[in-house]
Amino acid sequence: MLWYKAWLETRWRFLIGLAVLLVFACGAVFDYPAIARLNASVSAIDAPGNLGRLIREAAETQRTYRGFIWLQWYRQNLVQMWTILAVLLGSGGLLASSSGAALFALSMPASRTKLAGVRAATALMELLVLALIPSLLIPLFSPAVGQHYALGDTAVHSVALFLAGSVFFSLAFLLSAVFDDFWRPMLITCAVALSQTLVGALVGLPFSGMLRVMSAESYFRTGQVPWGGIGLALVVGLLMLYVAVRLVERRDF
Amino acid sequence: MPEAIIDTTDLRKRFGTLEALQGLTLQVQAGSICGFLGRNGAGKTTTLKILLGMMRPTSGEARVFGRRADDSTASVEIRRDVAFVGEDKPLFDYMTVGDMVRFTAAFYPRWRHDLERHYLGMFGLSPAVKVKMLSRGMRTGLAVLLALCRDARLLILDEPTSGLDPAMSEQVLQALVHHMASEATTVFFSSHHIAEVEQIADRVVIINRGRVTVAGALDELREQYRRIQFVFDDDAPVAPVFHAKGVERVSRDGRVLTVLASEGADGIVEEARTLRPVSIDVVPVSLKEIFLEASSVEG
Repeated sequence: MLWYKAWLETRWRFLIGLAVLLVFACGAVFDYPAIARLNASVSAIDAPGNLGRLIREAAETQRTYRGFIWLQWYRQNLVQMWTILAVLLGSGGLLASSSGAALFALSMPASRTKLAGVRAATALMELLVLALIPSLLIPLFSPAVGQHYALGDTAVHSVALFLAGSVFFSLAFLLSAVFDDFWRPMLITCAVALSQTLVGALVGLPFSGMLRVMSAESYFRTGQVPWGGIGLALVVGLLMLYVAVRLVERRDF
Repeated sequence: MPEAIIDTTDLRKRFGTLEALQGLTLQVQAGSICGFLGRNGAGKTTTLKILLGMMRPTSGEARVFGRRADDSTASVEIRRDVAFVGEDKPLFDYMTVGDMVRFTAAFYPRWRHDLERHYLGMFGLSPAVKVKMLSRGMRTGLAVLLALCRDARLLILDEPTSGLDPAMSEQVLQALVHHMASEATTVFFSSHHIAEVEQIADRVVIINRGRVTVAGALDELREQYRRIQFVFDDDAPVAPVFHAKGVERVSRDGRVLTVLASEGADGIVEEARTLRPVSIDVVPVSLKEIFLEASSVEG
C-alpha cells in the first residue's frame, strides 16, 4: 500500500508530464518535413559570433532525420521537460507536510527508510517511463513522414537520459529532506539544472557536460555510450539519495 | 500491579533554548484509560511523539511494551501494536475513505473488519468520499475508526475531541469507552477537557513545564485531595508553617485561611488546631482544581 500511496501522491505530476511529452514527441516527428524545408535556407544565414556558429551547427546536424530527432528531441525538448519533471517528482515527499499527513504515515509500522525508499523508487519508475514511452513514439510514427528511426537509438538515448538525469531527481529529493516546503527544493534544483542545460550550452561552459551525457551526444556522433558520465552521475545521485534517507531517519517530526 | 505499557524515565527534550521536557517520568499500566493533562506547551504532544518514535529525546529513556521508543527497529515493532490519533487528525486528503481504510488495514494483520463496518455506519462515513471533503467531525470519526480497527494493544490519542461539537465529542468518547469495555486495550490520551477526562479516565497524569506534577488513580486523587478552610475570629495568621505532609498551597483572605492538601488532611487539621480557628471545613476537590493547582505557573 505504500506504493499505492506514493502513486497517488505523484500521479498527476506524472500523468500530465507524460501527456505533454507524448504530444511533443509526436510534434517532433510530424514537424520534420517543414523543418527540413526551412533548414535549406537556414544554412545560408551568415550570423556572426557564437550564436551564428550554434545555428550553423544545428542546421548541419539536422540535415539527417537522425540528427534532427537527436537535436530537437533528445538534446532539447525531452531533456528540458524531463529534467523539470524529475525536479517536480523529487520535490516534496515525506517532509512537505511534516505537521500533517506525514504524522499518519510515521505512525504506521514501517521504517522511515522504507517510507522514503518507496517514495523515491516510485518516482524513479515514473521517470523511466517518462524517458522511454514518449521516445518510443518516434520510431513508431517515423514511417508516417517517410523516415526511419532505429529502436536501438531510442533505447540508448532514453536510458542515458534516465540514468544520468536522475541526479536532478536525487538533488531535489535530498533538498526535500532538508526543507519542509515544496518550493525551495524545486527552485534550487531548477536553478542548478538550468545552469547545466541552458546557460552552459549557450556560452559553452565546461559544466554543460551534464547535458551532453543526458543527451548521449557521444553516442549520436561516434556511437560511444557515455558510460563515464553516466556512472559518475549515478554515483553522485545514489549518494544524494542515501544522504536524504539518513536525514529523514534522524529528523524530528 | 499490572505491567507498565508506557514507562519513561527522566525524559528530556530540548528545542534550541526551549526545554520542552524536563525530566518526565511516568508509567501507564496495562488496561488503564490514562488521561494526560497539561496546559498548552506543557509537553504533552512532544511526549506522545517520542513514544511513537516521531521524535528522539535529548536524554532519558522512553519505553513502550518494554522496547526503547528511540530505537528505529524497536519503534516499528512498537507501532505494530499502537494506534495513534493526532490532534489535527492527520490523514491523506487525496485518498477516499475506502482508500484510507485499505491503506491502514494493509499494515495490521489483525484488522477488525467487523468494527470497520460498525464505525463506518456509526460515523456516517461513505467509502467513496474523499477525505478532504469530510467535515471535522467525520474526519475525527474516520481517524478513530482507523485507530480502533487495528486491534492495537495501546491507543495513543492527542486531543481526540479537539474542535468537535458536544454531540460528536460524546459519540467519540462513547466509541472509546465501548471499545475499552470489550477489548483488552490501554488508552493514553491527552486532553484539555477536564470533564472528558473525568468521564472516561481511571488514571490521570498532569504535567507542567515538562515534568509530571500529579499522577495516580482518579478515585485516589479525589479521595486524597482536600481543600481545608480555617476561619478565625480575627485576621488569619500570615504565612503559617505546616509540618504535616501533603500541604500543596496555603492562601489567606481576611479571616479565612485555605490549605490545599494532596494527602493527610487529618494531620493538617490537627496541626492547625493550635492556631485556634473558630471553624474548620474539609471539602473534596474537583479534578479541575487539582489540575489548576498542579499546572499553575509557579508549580
